Amino acid sequence: MKFFFIVFFNGLTLAALYFIAACGFTLIFGLMRTVNMAHGALLLLGAYVGYEVVEITGLWTVGIIAGGLTSAIVGAAIQAYILGRYQGDELRQTLITIAISIIMADLMLWAWGGLTYQISLPEMLLGGVRLPILNVGYSSVRLTLMAMAAVTGILLWLLIAKTKLGIIIRAGVDDREMLQALGFETKKIFVIVFAIGGMLTGMAGVITGSALSIAPGTDMQFLLSSLVVVIVGGMGSIGGAALGALLIGMAEQYGLAYAPTYGVVFTFVIMIAVLAIRPQGLLGRSEK
Amino acid sequence: MSVTNTPTSNDGDALSLQGVTRRFGSFVAVENFNMSIKTGERRAILGSNGAGKTTLFNLVTGDLALSAGNIKIEGVESSKLPTYKRIKSGIRRTYQHALLFDGLTVRETLFLSSVGIHNRWQSFLPIKKNNKYQAEAEMLAKKAGLFSLLDALVGNLSHGQKRQLEIGIALSGDPKIILFDEPAAGLSPAERPVLTELLLSLPKTISVILIEHDMDIALETSEIVSVMHNGKHLLERTPEEIVHSDIVRDIYVGKKQ
Amino acid sequence: MNRFIILLLIICSVLPVFAADFWLTQILSRSIILGVMALSLTFLTAYLGVVSFAQVTLAGIAGYTIAYFSANTAGIGAELPWVFAVLLALFFSTIAGALVGLIARQSVGIYSIMITLAISMAFFYFTRQNYSVFNGWTGFSGISAPSVMGLDLGAPVVFYYVCLFTGALATLFVVKFSSSPLGLSIQGVRDAARRVRAIGIPTSPVIVSAYAFSGLIAGMAGILNVWHQERVSSFSVGLGPTIDVLIISVIGGMRHPLGAFIGAITYVMIDTFAIDLISRDRFNTVIGLVLLLIVIAAPEGILGILKSVKERIKKIVLN
Repeated sequence: MKFFFIVFFNGLTLAALYFIAACGFTLIFGLMRTVNMAHGALLLLGAYVGYEVVEITGLWTVGIIAGGLTSAIVGAAIQAYILGRYQGDELRQTLITIAISIIMADLMLWAWGGLTYQISLPEMLLGGVRLPILNVGYSSVRLTLMAMAAVTGILLWLLIAKTKLGIIIRAGVDDREMLQALGFETKKIFVIVFAIGGMLTGMAGVITGSALSIAPGTDMQFLLSSLVVVIVGGMGSIGGAALGALLIGMAEQYGLAYAPTYGVVFTFVIMIAVLAIRPQGLLGRSEK
Repeated sequence: MSVTNTPTSNDGDALSLQGVTRRFGSFVAVENFNMSIKTGERRAILGSNGAGKTTLFNLVTGDLALSAGNIKIEGVESSKLPTYKRIKSGIRRTYQHALLFDGLTVRETLFLSSVGIHNRWQSFLPIKKNNKYQAEAEMLAKKAGLFSLLDALVGNLSHGQKRQLEIGIALSGDPKIILFDEPAAGLSPAERPVLTELLLSLPKTISVILIEHDMDIALETSEIVSVMHNGKHLLERTPEEIVHSDIVRDIYVGKKQ
Repeated sequence: MNRFIILLLIICSVLPVFAADFWLTQILSRSIILGVMALSLTFLTAYLGVVSFAQVTLAGIAGYTIAYFSANTAGIGAELPWVFAVLLALFFSTIAGALVGLIARQSVGIYSIMITLAISMAFFYFTRQNYSVFNGWTGFSGISAPSVMGLDLGAPVVFYYVCLFTGALATLFVVKFSSSPLGLSIQGVRDAARRVRAIGIPTSPVIVSAYAFSGLIAGMAGILNVWHQERVSSFSVGLGPTIDVLIISVIGGMRHPLGAFIGAITYVMIDTFAIDLISRDRFNTVIGLVLLLIVIAAPEGILGILKSVKERIKKIVLN
């Protein structure tokens, strides 16, 4: 029984990480219908920059901000100078982001080599706590991760549901032409969305680099996990991403614990089952 | 004023709709719609935009699922059948906004509708010359006035030619009922009489239901007119009665009856 | 176009007279194999209108089948006469194609990309973790092309002709299939799925058979690939090869089957030679830039560029 709960908490931690990583992806997809295949590359870039900054300053908070800002700027530049011209041509945008991700991955390999990096955490997060009742040790960083996931989710929901920008953006998803007719500069709005998405992604990279580690290949790993989380949960829905992350995180950890050979395969079985029953994802709106 | 809201069903009917209803959320697009079409009947459906005419067609062909009610096509209970199975009962339709295969030629399009309707689409072997479906495709092109354009790409056809092709597709295989969804929309004044003639020339074995805003065409080609308003089947009249009444004008202009 | 293809075939069939073994094996045979793999994707994109990331998976399934049923150094599997192994390989890749189609049948555009990508990655991880059939991440090695009546199909010149024949056959299949009733139905679904249903054709079996056919073509490439590489492993079905095939299709142009082969030879040439000019390690940056440039400036690929050049020359000549 104890083992079962330990796996449960591991699943929860992984789910938190997957959720944080998928947020930028689902935000950009949900609001702009752009499948950002460079999502993983932006995450890894944020992580590398975060690592360098933490090494220099020794301050984790500065690192996460630097990582987020870098990815925000790169993301905004991609949207402003390349993707924006092809708004509505989803397939072409997808191909463009694939090309960008290939180039970025290769340049990052050039700059940072094939080494594995881990970002050092602030000291207050290094300890552990003992969970009541179950009496198992649990590291603070994992609890922090869950808190971060919750905060990210709530902030994102507030941004979309409660702010003026959120309202404008949501209107734009439903009817892009109307938004333009009302005199909003959709171009500018989309660049802002991409910057926010990039920011979230870069910060997720720093968090990933602190909780786990980063190396070439981390980009594809998290692009894939975000893809699956978003497909399962429903494209463009924050709640869906949370649900998807929870399912996938749990499936992966329980799979690893009870059927180690096929741990990862469970993830995809869930995805395929969801697609068969509800192609738009668990909390997604149906494709029109 | 309503005359037709009591369900009447006759197994000899080409098409029978009973209590046909479609809701989109809280909006009722088609409400408790009853109608029977006899074999060979020519009926026009009139109504303002948003009255639910095209939705009704979509329900009959299965492009949309029913919320309630019952549809019989040629005596076959079809309410739950997918579109491609309803076609086998002999129902055909044209679409209001031409829905065509832009990447195929006219010949390929008509050939495909012929093999589709005869359930011979499964073959992955190349088509032999002088195959009977090829012959039907050419015959259909002749009927639709597109014989000279057989090898033209559908995407390159003019608006009028696309409407003709829609009709050609609808005539493939032995149709029993054809639903025409605004066939005259976008046609030039010169093209309209051609359409009228084509509609009048259809053999009496085919039942026709026509949605049309061009009153001249609608009244000239139909024997009976149904008026639809806010998703309901308001009344049935002969074309003469329609001409001499204010009802239709009131509905189009928007005056409450 | 047909005359051009025949001319191309004639040129290709006399090439072994001039070309050294390195050219035949590393450039030409490799290009044709990648071309057939890309053709299976080009077929889906041109005729069904979807982009699939599962084509390398389908080719890999055929490759694994050949490896499993041939002599190999992994010590897994059972040796079968090569004809049976080939037929089984094509059978499995076709069935796998149908399965992918079944899962992705309701999805188009970006959705089909994401779903097929996820399927291909699922297969990748599966091969890494399964040892009883796929032998984990190391896979199979030591597989050689069979000898037919004393003729070693693996010898450079012979293997080149095997590839050329397969490439021509695959292209012929695609061209002929596309004009069959089922092939026309597939194109119908691409243009207007609702209308396809309204002429009495259910769309799901049409979509599934398009994917199955693409599986057959991918399987042909997969068989050649395992004979060419003499091994197959999880790396053969990873993200790298998957994206390479997409790049090849896009570079060549997805409007016509020939684009796949033009893309493949371009890709192989860049891989082999252009890289000497820069640094071997930066190949991905080069190919990424080429892809970016093509997608932005010439969305119809090299085939599209050639077409517009031809039209421009025509105009100049006519004036």
